[in-house]
Amino acid sequence: MAFDIIFGNAARAAFGPEAVILALAAVGLNVHFGFTGLLNFGQVGFLLLGAYGTSVSVATFGWSLWVGILVGLVLSVALAVAFGLPTLRLHVVMFAIVTIAAAEIIRILIGSTDAIGLTGGPLSVSFDAEAFYDLNPYPDGPHDRYGVGTFEFTGQQMWVITVGWVLVALVSLVVFLIVRSPWGRVLKSIREDEDATRSLGKNVFSYKMQALIIGGVIGGMGGVVDAIKTSGADPNGFRPQVTFFAYTALLLGGAATYVGPILGAILFWFLREWIESFLRQLSAEAWLPSTVADFLDGAEGVISVAMVGLSLVLLMLFRPQGITGSRTEMQLDAR
Amino acid sequence: MPDELTPKPGEARPGTDSGLAGAEIEPILTVPPVVGAPKPHPILVVDDLTRSFGGLRAVDVDHLEVERGVVTALIGPNGAGKTTLFNQLTGFDRADTGRWSFDGQPVSSPSPDQLARKGMIRTFQLTKSLAKLSVLDNVLLGAPGQVGERLSAAPFRSRWQGQEEANVEQAEELLHRFNLAHMRDELAGTLSGGQRKLLEVARALMADPVMIMLDEPMAGVNPALAQSLMRHITELAFEGLTVVFIEHAMDVVTGISDWVVVLAQGRIIAEGPPWKVIHDDEVIDAYLGRRRAGAGS
Ligand SMILES: Nc1ncnc2c1ncn2[C@@H]1O[C@H](COP(=O)(O)OP(=O)(O)OP(=O)(O)O)[C@@H](O)[C@H]1O
Ligand SMILES: [Mg+2]
Repeated sequence: MAFDIIFGNAARAAFGPEAVILALAAVGLNVHFGFTGLLNFGQVGFLLLGAYGTSVSVATFGWSLWVGILVGLVLSVALAVAFGLPTLRLHVVMFAIVTIAAAEIIRILIGSTDAIGLTGGPLSVSFDAEAFYDLNPYPDGPHDRYGVGTFEFTGQQMWVITVGWVLVALVSLVVFLIVRSPWGRVLKSIREDEDATRSLGKNVFSYKMQALIIGGVIGGMGGVVDAIKTSGADPNGFRPQVTFFAYTALLLGGAATYVGPILGAILFWFLREWIESFLRQLSAEAWLPSTVADFLDGAEGVISVAMVGLSLVLLMLFRPQGITGSRTEMQLDAR
Repeated sequence: MPDELTPKPGEARPGTDSGLAGAEIEPILTVPPVVGAPKPHPILVVDDLTRSFGGLRAVDVDHLEVERGVVTALIGPNGAGKTTLFNQLTGFDRADTGRWSFDGQPVSSPSPDQLARKGMIRTFQLTKSLAKLSVLDNVLLGAPGQVGERLSAAPFRSRWQGQEEANVEQAEELLHRFNLAHMRDELAGTLSGGQRKLLEVARALMADPVMIMLDEPMAGVNPALAQSLMRHITELAFEGLTVVFIEHAMDVVTGISDWVVVLAQGRIIAEGPPWKVIHDDEVIDAYLGRRRAGAGS
């Protein structure tokens, strides 16, 4: 079997734009869930607004890409405020339900036929991201490749992922700087006990709102990267499972840590792509019984997602704190 | 958000009459032991406060004044409404009716964090430790006015580090006093029940309260340590802190309180100096569970 091809596919997925997008989604979610304890199940909504804000600004209104990016991020802030104002005072479960529903409602509205004139509706929207690729310093001829062996990218891809990972690093640095401060201590106290935090004079609502906005904008950046990478946006790309993939990455890597969500996103895509490629190669092998080959054929993607889910279950059983989390903290939950 | 009005440790608290403590005779001793008696320097004045749960009147207080700078004990049988009264006054639970003023200002829309920033700091009967924060961080969270708690200053360590270091020093002193110094860097979730009670009191004191409201601070704390905790609290009262605490153990109540308020079935049935109150017939009845004709009406 061609393991070098399997590995190449997996490694490209692990460091490619999809992993960047997932990492940004997970880093934002970490601010919500990991540090503040906000059970946000609508993280995909922020990605969606980031992506559509950018795409629609350029495609429909003819604005420049940079204005589009700004619009995408401003819409993310607006969504955080809209999520937060009515629900942050309610119980966590309420918040979870509202966020998952609201994100899905936005997706359905944007993808409806009535919205064709504005967002492209179900037809998706596309634009020319040349303003971004014009800055590409990597030579991008038809034969230019960057990497080793089967693990290689084109010049355009290189440019997207370079900017993407630098963005992930910068954002994580900012998160690190603000969370290790007394401000971050208040966030963690809210996660542990809201009333205790209130009793010491902290305006819990205000802190939660700040966390929601920050994590939401980071998710929105993921959406912007997605829009640039695909030169557009499609409503089907923003189904609720995107949020759950972000949770998977976060829990794999370790919530409430700084590198956890990044590591988790890389691992998520590596595993997912490795399994899928492996199954594809497998179903092409001649020695497989035809029933097995037929079963596998076309189902590789689904099975690989299921396997990633299984690995998460195993992780929760054997290393519930994630790869980088702290075991002692986890054990406190049992007390 | 930090509150500029909160005085720094060592500064005089606004409204604190420094001549109060240590005067020849404590003014509270001149107050007649009758329910609703006006106090010479009230810090908290409560009127017509009620709270019902379904058909149950958990709190029904006509008039209550709490004297500034002394130790007031709030006692009463289980279910008397003591915790509910605390929750009302500190804004953690909505009152059905009632007005109250704190430190000379009427409390119009009670919000827990605003009241706390004004210096009304409470602890909880069921301790609320921040399990995944270190013991030291638990106490540091109490520190008022830390600039680094503002997002705009948070990323710049130089802006809050000096303040943090001073706070750490103060926090370590408190931890030492409450026998928690050796647990400084442990996660608070690993503490025992009694240690958590102590941690919560330390955290509340760190908040530099004008009035501290302790809900059964000694429950589950070993007697020797409880003694030292109470001694510390009386010292602080001597320096001007107002203390209100809920307690069931009578020896503790008589030992350290200057004034005792007795609650039964939501109503204040007696108040006065400890040695008078504990001999009050109605109080004895309330504790023994007998109901006198007309009581509670
Ligand atoms: N949230 C609530 N819902 C319904 N009833 C409540 C609620 N909180 C308190 N009560 C009732 O109000 C009454 C007073 O309760 P509270 O907790 O104030 O008593 P307490 O004086 O603090 O008692 P203890 O000494 O046992 O702590 C009790 O009868 C209790 O059942
Ligand atoms: Mg109680």
